[in-house]
Amino acid sequence: MSRKQQDCGNPEHGLHRRRFLEGMTAGAISSLSWSGLFSNPAFAETARKQQKRCILLWLCGGPSQFETWDPKPGTSTSGPFGSIPTSIPGIHFSELMPKCASIAHRTAVIRSMKTSAREHTQAINLLQRGHKPRPPFTRPTLGSVLSQQLGQLGSSIPNFILLDPCPEGNEFKGFKAGNWAGWLGAQYSPVRTGGEFRIPHVNKLDSITEGDHEAREELRSFFSKKFENDTRSEAASSHNAVYERVKGLMSCAHLFDLERLPRKDRDRYGPGTFGQHTLLARTLVEEGAPFVMVANGMPWDCHVFNHEIYQMVVPDLDNIIYQLHCDLEERGMLEDTLVVAMGEFGRTPWLNAARGRDHYPNAWSLTMFGSGIAEGAVVGATDKLGFDVTGQAYDEQNLFATIFAALGINPHTEFNIPTLPDFHYVEDNSEPIKEVLA
Amino acid sequence: MKVELKKGATLKMPTHCLSLARGEGNQFYASCFDGGIYSVPDTRWKKPVRLAEHQNYASGVNWSPTTRHLVSAGYDGRLVWTNPDEKKITREVKAHDFWSWQSAISPDGTRIASSTGQYLCGGHKYEPAPEKEPSVKVFEVHTGKQTHAFEHVPPVESVAFSNNGKFLAAGNLMGEVRVWDLTTGTEAARIKTANFTGWGIIKGHYFTGGVFALAFSPDDSEIFLAGMGSTRDPAAGNGKQLWERWKWQGGKVEKTGSANDGEIGQGLMETLAFHPGGKIFAMAGRLFKGQWNTAIFDLETGSRLAQADTKMRVSKAIWNEEGSRLYLAGSSGQPKERKDLEKPDWGRVKVLEVEIS
Repeated sequence: MSRKQQDCGNPEHGLHRRRFLEGMTAGAISSLSWSGLFSNPAFAETARKQQKRCILLWLCGGPSQFETWDPKPGTSTSGPFGSIPTSIPGIHFSELMPKCASIAHRTAVIRSMKTSAREHTQAINLLQRGHKPRPPFTRPTLGSVLSQQLGQLGSSIPNFILLDPCPEGNEFKGFKAGNWAGWLGAQYSPVRTGGEFRIPHVNKLDSITEGDHEAREELRSFFSKKFENDTRSEAASSHNAVYERVKGLMSCAHLFDLERLPRKDRDRYGPGTFGQHTLLARTLVEEGAPFVMVANGMPWDCHVFNHEIYQMVVPDLDNIIYQLHCDLEERGMLEDTLVVAMGEFGRTPWLNAARGRDHYPNAWSLTMFGSGIAEGAVVGATDKLGFDVTGQAYDEQNLFATIFAALGINPHTEFNIPTLPDFHYVEDNSEPIKEVLA
Repeated sequence: MKVELKKGATLKMPTHCLSLARGEGNQFYASCFDGGIYSVPDTRWKKPVRLAEHQNYASGVNWSPTTRHLVSAGYDGRLVWTNPDEKKITREVKAHDFWSWQSAISPDGTRIASSTGQYLCGGHKYEPAPEKEPSVKVFEVHTGKQTHAFEHVPPVESVAFSNNGKFLAAGNLMGEVRVWDLTTGTEAARIKTANFTGWGIIKGHYFTGGVFALAFSPDDSEIFLAGMGSTRDPAAGNGKQLWERWKWQGGKVEKTGSANDGEIGQGLMETLAFHPGGKIFAMAGRLFKGQWNTAIFDLETGSRLAQADTKMRVSKAIWNEEGSRLYLAGSSGQPKERKDLEKPDWGRVKVLEVEIS
């Protein structure tokens, strides 16, 4: 179903955020703070009702902006790949992205990201959590917060799914083994699967009946909950949360089976694991998963063989983004599903001695589309050689504020946890990137 | 045999030099990232002269003594004929839809070969997809007419003629070398080695490396392959500095030797060059860890005879006519300062003086 059809006929969209914004005068919008906008209870309720969803294509390692969304043709920093015009007059992408170029007017690109962390561990944490560390507190990741905000209590399908067919990944491997949910608690950690890293032990043993299985679980749950309540044990709470999750997984394990997906769909997304798992992500959000993150190790970290690898991974990504956009639109899910494709930083303008590009947080790019995102927005710019952002630069806090806002969540909401200092989804009243928002 | 390497001249070039060719009178020519084909100055006081250009990286330059022309190839997929004396392009041929990774000229200067192919995802493990066009093509130097088009699995990173000019070999990312008989146009041999290709276990599931350089032994009985040994981290460049030698004739393909583990470090090796005397050969590339990026090996024993660290990534090594100098083309990377990035003087040709006794 197209966007147009949805707009015309579906009463569910009568209170959509876009309509809400359109109903306001331009002057009213400009005079409101974003916090003010989200303090309207009708708005928040409407956003929740719409069952917003988010897919994060996590391009770990740090994709090069020069070979994707911010090419510099004809300059000393361009590398060997040219640029092509997009469907937006005057805007060019790398020649490696012809499909994304054809739908540029339906997506948004931010070319003015400027962050501070230039090593993977720090940068992954920064772009996954949206804020610098403040020990001893561990801020939850974007996925954890969104799973809490957008997920349904008691949902059988996990509220936070991490699809990552590459189990390794250097610094990302370390991050994956860490604390995703922070102060929100283990129930907001991801269920991780993908490739050969499958969800184990989710099938009921044939040796016991359904009735026996349920009776055992009731007994376990009774004692465990009692222990949790009596001792106020966080460990027991997490333990119980895991059991609840396993119960859900047992009922929806089939949704994680790539083999059940139609061959023609699998062919469209390409044979590589990233494409296959992005297709799986699409089906999972279709089934109600509120947040799915697709990763594939750290393939974008090309200190050597930059051009040799990018000639393959960028066209792969180009096709994946295109297919995902088409699918979400065809299914009428684009209005309610936010897709973000980004890494933890960009790559250097210069080629190192190995003809690779190194980490570069000073000026980098990402793309997003779908829920709450202005179609065709190209925000910010970099200078001639791609050394720095010209004009307004945006950091991780602006980005997170944008993502929350696009999903109808007040970015400045305070975490309501009595034992914590005053933490917010986004600190410092950092504002969303307004040009990106619809 | 004793070989000694001494540091010689360092010549500044505009950008990274991907290839070198030796013309008449030890005049050298280089092809660079900026697309330029340059004459290499003989002293550091002179500047390189731009003779021709490609619309993308110029990946190869070759000298044809019979036509007294340079034939260059580039990432623009084109072959360009240049008269260096007149600094004039005399012919252009569109050879490929993608890059020319490497080009080679037959010893008599009558044929030019070029290899191509984009690495695209072709399988669950990111195996290369099949070629969209013939990956290896051969053209007549005199006319520019294509004479052969050979199938391979892209990307095909290296290509070399036999010394008798009758055979052509081409090596790819997956460590497969195909050898064709140019007289019949048929495949004569196929070498497969897994030792130059890495599949990423650590960072990403894709393939890197491959056969970056090929050379026939002086008697054509063996083919030498060079590149980087397999690595678990495809983006680290930390595989072995590796060469292998293979017998390929008579219907039997057999590995007959490789670089000795105790004599090599880590890093991508990009070039092989047999000495005019035919008893030693050079291999050079990038040093990741170890002591050298350029070494001389004994053809008979395979032992390393001499080594040097030129502090740059070498993409092409070529001997002077007398075999007393080894010319190395490459760079140490682009400058990291904005003000320096637009200054086109970061490529290098470094010369090693070679004493053989």
